[in-house]
Amino acid sequence: MTADYSGTQKLNYLNNGFTLKSWLLTKDHKRIAIMYLITISLFFLAGGIFAATIRLEMLTPASDLLQTGTYNKVFTAHGILMIFFFLIPSIPAVLGNFLLPIMIGAKDLALPRINLLSLYIYWIGGLFTVWALLQGGVDTGWTFYTPYSTTFSNTYVMAVGLGIFINGFSSILTGLNFIVTVHTMRAPGMTWFRLPLFVWAQYATSLVMILGTPVIAITVLLLAIERFAQVGIFDPAIGGDPILFQHMFWFYSHPAVYIMVLPGMGVISELISNFSRKKIFGYEFIAFSSIAIAVFGFLVWGHHMFVSGQSIYAGLVFSFLTMVVAVPSAIKMFNWTATLYKGSISFDTPMLYGLGFMGLFLIGGLTGLFLGAMGLVVHLTDTYFVVAHFHYVMVGGQVVAYLGGIHYWWPKMTGKMYSEFWGKISAMLVFIGFNLTFFPQFILGYLGMPRRYASYPEEMQVLNIFSSAGASVLGVGMIMPLIYLGHSLIYGKPAGDNPWLLPGLEWRTSSPPPTENFEVMPVVTWEAYEFGEDSGLDLEAARAREAAKV
Amino acid sequence: MNIPRYLGVFAVLVVGTILTYYAATVDLDFIFPGANTLVALLIAFTKMTCVMLFFMHVYWSPRLIWLSAVASFFWLAIMFAYTMQDYLTRDIGVFMQ
Amino acid sequence: MSAHSETEKFHYHEPGLQHQFEDMQQQEESVSIGMWMFLVQEIMFFGGLFTAYLVYRSRYPMAFAAGSNHLDAFWGGLNTLVLIVSSLTMALTVFYAQKNNRNMQVLMIVLTMFFGAVFLGVKAIEYTDKFDHGLVPVAGWNKRVPAHAGESHAAVKPCWEVDHNAPAEEHPNPRGEFQFTDCSLVKQAQDGNYLTAAERVGYFSNGQIDGNKFRDKVRIFYYLYFVMTGLHALHMVIGLGLMTWLLITAWRGRYNEDYYMPIEMSGLYWHFVDIVWIFLFPLLYLLGRHFMH
Ligand SMILES: [Cu+2]
Repeated sequence: MTADYSGTQKLNYLNNGFTLKSWLLTKDHKRIAIMYLITISLFFLAGGIFAATIRLEMLTPASDLLQTGTYNKVFTAHGILMIFFFLIPSIPAVLGNFLLPIMIGAKDLALPRINLLSLYIYWIGGLFTVWALLQGGVDTGWTFYTPYSTTFSNTYVMAVGLGIFINGFSSILTGLNFIVTVHTMRAPGMTWFRLPLFVWAQYATSLVMILGTPVIAITVLLLAIERFAQVGIFDPAIGGDPILFQHMFWFYSHPAVYIMVLPGMGVISELISNFSRKKIFGYEFIAFSSIAIAVFGFLVWGHHMFVSGQSIYAGLVFSFLTMVVAVPSAIKMFNWTATLYKGSISFDTPMLYGLGFMGLFLIGGLTGLFLGAMGLVVHLTDTYFVVAHFHYVMVGGQVVAYLGGIHYWWPKMTGKMYSEFWGKISAMLVFIGFNLTFFPQFILGYLGMPRRYASYPEEMQVLNIFSSAGASVLGVGMIMPLIYLGHSLIYGKPAGDNPWLLPGLEWRTSSPPPTENFEVMPVVTWEAYEFGEDSGLDLEAARAREAAKV
Repeated sequence: MNIPRYLGVFAVLVVGTILTYYAATVDLDFIFPGANTLVALLIAFTKMTCVMLFFMHVYWSPRLIWLSAVASFFWLAIMFAYTMQDYLTRDIGVFMQ
Repeated sequence: MSAHSETEKFHYHEPGLQHQFEDMQQQEESVSIGMWMFLVQEIMFFGGLFTAYLVYRSRYPMAFAAGSNHLDAFWGGLNTLVLIVSSLTMALTVFYAQKNNRNMQVLMIVLTMFFGAVFLGVKAIEYTDKFDHGLVPVAGWNKRVPAHAGESHAAVKPCWEVDHNAPAEEHPNPRGEFQFTDCSLVKQAQDGNYLTAAERVGYFSNGQIDGNKFRDKVRIFYYLYFVMTGLHALHMVIGLGLMTWLLITAWRGRYNEDYYMPIEMSGLYWHFVDIVWIFLFPLLYLLGRHFMH
């Protein structure tokens, strides 16, 4: 590695070595985050293509584009790629990896080699899964319900299962690393209650990853062995209990929903506070609600099994607790809203995504309560209402927050500014396209259209066309960032160290940051989201200077 | 820790193993059904506590280590309890008349 | 590495200290917390298996007792003792590292590895025994015993009266399937009126004890037995790998009172594997023994 001090360019993590080896064997959390970003985008693209195929098929009532068997494989591939290989690693492995050490003033994550290992495990698990999908795929749905998956399905259940098994350890290692880092690597003065809320959210997510993911690993392993041995521990025909599989599966997979949305909430806390230029309202409440979600999220998994033959008493308990777990999410919503109140809001692209999140997640969360109510769910279970609900949470929540976060920290990650004009257009398209895609599905579900079928009655075609049309708008909105962000890498204006004029630690180092993040170790003397003079930066004066330039 | 103490812990573990073997051969169901299971688990928990406190040095470790040990068993208990609340109430049919 | 040496002028780095840490204490704290988080995930990993065990044992206690009685508690108990000894030697390895005693470290690591290997050897003996007696829950993975023409007394007698101490040739198993013909415990529980609700459905056809249905439940026990002990043995093998690495580095005198984290961390792992066995032994080998009258 030879330092390149020529010209004005400072040494940073990007120009510190250009060889393939300097990337593949790096221990720098920022480079690992960039490699995650690229891989995850590829998986997102692949999952998106499957989604587009589904919406194309649903244009017409008959199953004409795809045969029903193929359709099963397509929605399964969509679910598996999106959940295990995009949503779960998205914000933690990309934004968390890149920013968590910087935000707490550390040189790197505590265990950089483990971090690199987790990336490699992710790659291996991903390759394994893609290979299995190319071989012929799976038709069980991403939930792998038994005994269909163990006894009847003639597809590559074992291979995909093992891909997910491997991939699980990548997310365990990421979570482990984050927890250690937050405990031991904080800069002097960075107390727990000065941590940005993004860090709290990552911490809570990591708890879920460590406590939940091993259970899905063992569940998938049992499933694979069962498929091979045909002992019948999940097969009622020979004495097993398929519901046990569902218990073990959802013990992880409900908390996994919080792996998929907690990091998004962390990003939103950053966006809402920073773009309102106001100290976040109820810092402690938001911080502890993240932890509360991580804990209570483990107590509600039975709401996926209300009509599966689970005991009705267990259903009562799970239904009640599901209502309880909505409270911490609501606390966050209230606090964000209170933060906006009388803030000096600027509608930059990240903030558009942030506000979009609030609207979409509100709908997603509230419809979740419908589905947590034991009586109502008998009508709504396995209909498009469920599909719409979790897409509002997963896409309207996590993907929107992820895009918002990418835009927000893009100048920091690359040192370049993207086109604000195109950014705003794409944020609007995502919001409009998303609602057009998924709102009709609430109605379809309420009317009784079941999920996972390639055909449907003709009177449901109008709403399905709306949905497919919306999907194409959404698709355009999602592709556009790829273009203008890529464009900005080469043609973008240099962003400067603090383009948004914010007080967070990540804005106090250069863009892109140097390999060890800071020239000198920062000493934190200010509270989180401190816009006043206590922040040590004269943000008001800087803002006035900016205004004068324009 | 010194060697006699390590040997003391070791002795407890050996005695526990022998005890659990003999306790399993005696029918304790006359106390209450499942008493054998309870005894076996109590002995196992004692042995585990010994290993964790002294061999794994949890006794001298910071609070966070204690917390993570306790938390993992708490989460195990969640998994056991909430799964079993389904199985133990399945055959009660009040709502199914 | 020219970029690095610039900063290293200002920072004195102790040997073994990685660049992201400020001092040894921070590094040790991080590594130790990381290891404990890893153990937490290991606990949950095995926890899934224990959940499956809990569910099926509470539903089919007689099948689990019958299966458990066909495991050899002697070998299981011996292995428990072997693992406890290896845990002791592991703990002493840390102790001698703290005392700067290289020779005793090496000796203790060798002993730990020896007992670990003995454990795996005993496990192999047990697995072979299960293979010989048709107790491996995978069709075709058992010893094949050709059938003798005209001999099928198992079908004549009810399954609770078959003589199970008869020589192996009297239990023909031409396809190497899982075999379990002894349902005397069901009969005993039926007479004593302590069958669970699930058992009253699960073992009977038309009000009669159904040997095949009972066998299916016993097979679930053996499935869990093999997965649980198999994964445990896999952890032992990984542990032996760690020990080999420790042995090499300890031989070179890498560890002393200032630096013994690798030994301490491998020790945590080794003790954890021991703890898993401390629970597996009574749950798999012992519970149900008191039903044998
Ligand atoms: Cu859920």
